[in-house]
Amino acid sequence: MQATAALTVDHLPPQPPPNVIRFGMLTFLASEAMLFGGLIGGYIVLRSGAGPGWQMPEALKNPTTMAQTFVATIMLLSSSFTLHFSEVRILRGQRGGRLLLLLTLVLGGCFLANQAHEWFSLYHEGFWFNTAGIMGSSFFVLTGFHGMHVFIGALLLLAALVRTALGLITPERHAFLDCSSLYWHFVDIVWIFLFTILYIL
Amino acid sequence: MAQTLAHSVTEVHGETAHHHELSFFRKYIWSEDHKTIALQYLFASLFFLMVGGLLALGVRYQLAFPGTPVPVIGKLLPRWLVTDAGAIQPGGYNALFTMHATVMVFLVVMPLLVGVFGNFLIPLKIGAGDMAFPFFNALSFWLFLLSGFILLASFFTPTGFPAAGWTSYAPLSSHASYNGTQAGQSLWCVGLFVNGLASIAGAMNYITTVINMRAPGMKMFRLPLAVWALLVTAFLLLLAVPVLSAAAAMLFFDLNFGTSFFSASNYGQPLLWQHLFWFFGHPEVYILILPAMGLTSEILPVFSRKPIFGYKAMVFAMVAIGVLGFIVWGHHMFVSGMNLMLSAVFSFSTMVIAVPSAIKTFNWLGTVWRGSIRFTTPMCFALGFVSMFVIGGLSGIFMASTPVDLFIHHTYFVVAHIHYVLFGGSLFAIFGAIYFWFPKMFGRMTNEFWGKVHFFLTLTFFNLTFFPMHNLGLNGMMRRIADPTQYDHLRSQQPINVLITLSAFGLGLSTIVFFINFFYSIFKGPKAPRNPWNSTTLEWTVPSPPGHGNFDVTPTVYHGPYEYSVPGMEQDFLPQNQPVPEAARLMPH
Ligand code: HEM
Ligand SMILES: [Cu+2]
Repeated sequence: MQATAALTVDHLPPQPPPNVIRFGMLTFLASEAMLFGGLIGGYIVLRSGAGPGWQMPEALKNPTTMAQTFVATIMLLSSSFTLHFSEVRILRGQRGGRLLLLLTLVLGGCFLANQAHEWFSLYHEGFWFNTAGIMGSSFFVLTGFHGMHVFIGALLLLAALVRTALGLITPERHAFLDCSSLYWHFVDIVWIFLFTILYIL
Repeated sequence: MAQTLAHSVTEVHGETAHHHELSFFRKYIWSEDHKTIALQYLFASLFFLMVGGLLALGVRYQLAFPGTPVPVIGKLLPRWLVTDAGAIQPGGYNALFTMHATVMVFLVVMPLLVGVFGNFLIPLKIGAGDMAFPFFNALSFWLFLLSGFILLASFFTPTGFPAAGWTSYAPLSSHASYNGTQAGQSLWCVGLFVNGLASIAGAMNYITTVINMRAPGMKMFRLPLAVWALLVTAFLLLLAVPVLSAAAAMLFFDLNFGTSFFSASNYGQPLLWQHLFWFFGHPEVYILILPAMGLTSEILPVFSRKPIFGYKAMVFAMVAIGVLGFIVWGHHMFVSGMNLMLSAVFSFSTMVIAVPSAIKTFNWLGTVWRGSIRFTTPMCFALGFVSMFVIGGLSGIFMASTPVDLFIHHTYFVVAHIHYVLFGGSLFAIFGAIYFWFPKMFGRMTNEFWGKVHFFLTLTFFNLTFFPMHNLGLNGMMRRIADPTQYDHLRSQQPINVLITLSAFGLGLSTIVFFINFFYSIFKGPKAPRNPWNSTTLEWTVPSPPGHGNFDVTPTVYHGPYEYSVPGMEQDFLPQNQPVPEAARLMPH
């Protein structure tokens, strides 16, 4: 509002209570879940329809790729824990919260980096969304949609980190952090499903 | 707990309202006031109503007079639509009906019901100062408007509007070489994706607001039925729309990036599109009718001066419709070659879902039964809604039965059904609701006489336009054919097509009566009092139009929403914010 005044919590517009904001975020995530529900449901239908014709490329099944993706998965999942503990500390006004938030971001970044690497090598193997029939289409669209979400989640967490550093997120006023973190956990859970159907099954 | 929270939220709002004057931009363009957003939605969707109406007249012109140049404007139209002589081409005809339906569903009926009345009524009726997330509410409107422009932008591409029908079945829609409208079909996908974001932003707002921000004493079973209807609708939007978004994204990739989700080669499945589309599509049709049912349930008791009949039954019926709506989508796919057993299941679930609709209809009849009815314009439209909806619901039952549907699927019988539920149903309710809440929205009354003229013209021309479509369908006229006179068995039907087209133009004219009344009354209508209809719900306890923040003091609610003609009271209505007097004997709930 007042651009010249220093940005402090007191100058921010009023907000609904934190639990109302959380509630709103949860409804939004329900909607996101249906988005992935549609994509994953479509995948299952297509895959069962293809029967034995469904052949994922060697590049995806070789042990190195599997190992790398597995590590990336572990990193993404552990980032949920670092985020949780970071939140707890920030809300209690304890030290170390910001560091943990940063660690969360690094873990998420590694996950994305691995995914980019994987896409790149698959491309060189000739497995791409428009060259490998329905297998390529679904693999890239599913991981692409999810990667987009991880990316957005990382941006939200980055914003939360900046806000924490500026003192705009406090033990009393933390809806932004709450929502970013809900979003991040959600994206993690989706990955568990995707990892299962794309790599394991 | 939730109620005390609501309290503090409204208070905070009230405070900010007095502190600073809003700039023009914040007041009219990026407004975060739910009432302004509702009006923005209203003007935008009335504009799209005119667009959709003109497209429909194009469709009708072609069916009655195929191959003849369109008078006056024919030569001005782009070449993807008309021949050099100015007559509509077959491809152009496909483009017209595709965009007509897309516009009417996504840019007219949905925003009118959900965007306009959802926004305007929810906070006012539950006693809140605004929505939970005003920012997202504003965002929702602008995304909606953007989606409208994206959809219509295809008019200016060389290949024009998308032309694969509003259902955009693959592989027609997913291969540019089949549909010939790569740009238009892609814009259709993007437009619906953006439109979906707008719907989701709205839906999450509505749910959060209704659950968390009700005034003290506003228990869930004291909510006006319109609020219940919008709440159930919001859940449907939240859970069904993203599936369309997913499907639209896949279609977009198929069209533009060479993926093969919906192509029959490479193990893709064209039928997958139908499943995804109708998984969204059937909840969507209830998104288009539930709020209309809710609005009607507000109007009927007021002008019958009687409590709504069976309040709880009405609520449970809506919840049942909402839940069952997710498991009936297969009734659109009876001829897709699906498993017969599955077909029987869908047939059965569809008949089951007709039961709660019937319950609602009986309750509306019970409400007006022996009431002291006042035939105001809103009441006429509300009664029109009930009557037309019954016809549409009955034709629905015909089609729900697989063996019957095998013969009438994709004929004009379906078109008749659609329009009895969507025009005779939803749009009648919308007209009624506009006349009913106009005083609250603009602080002025509409003209009763011209309102009635509008009603009777609409009722007459509506039935003349759409009833004969049942006959056309049973006589074998297919949907989506550019020239019925090409078929031997349809040539004898051509006079009916001409009758329908002439009536459709009559329907267009009667809508002009509405527009004139509407715009004239905004500026020149007599000033409206707070409560012109002697109604009981909270929006009528504040000035017309209500100020920013709605309520000076958060109201307390003492009883249910439909206390009319309460025995033992002098006044024949008891507003929700007034305690129950000693002498009054309320209906037990
Ligand atoms: C009593 C309840 C209803 C029943 C039993 C019912 C049944 C059906 C059936 C079986 C079809 C498929 C016909 C076919 O394609 O062969 C259908 C189509 C349709 N219904 Fe309903 N319906 C009901 C109410 C509604 C309502 C309330 C709406 C919307 C407000 C609606 C909108 C539509 C639309 C738009 C289509 C056509 C979709 C298309 O193919 O383009 N229906 N209905
Ligand atoms: Cu349906």
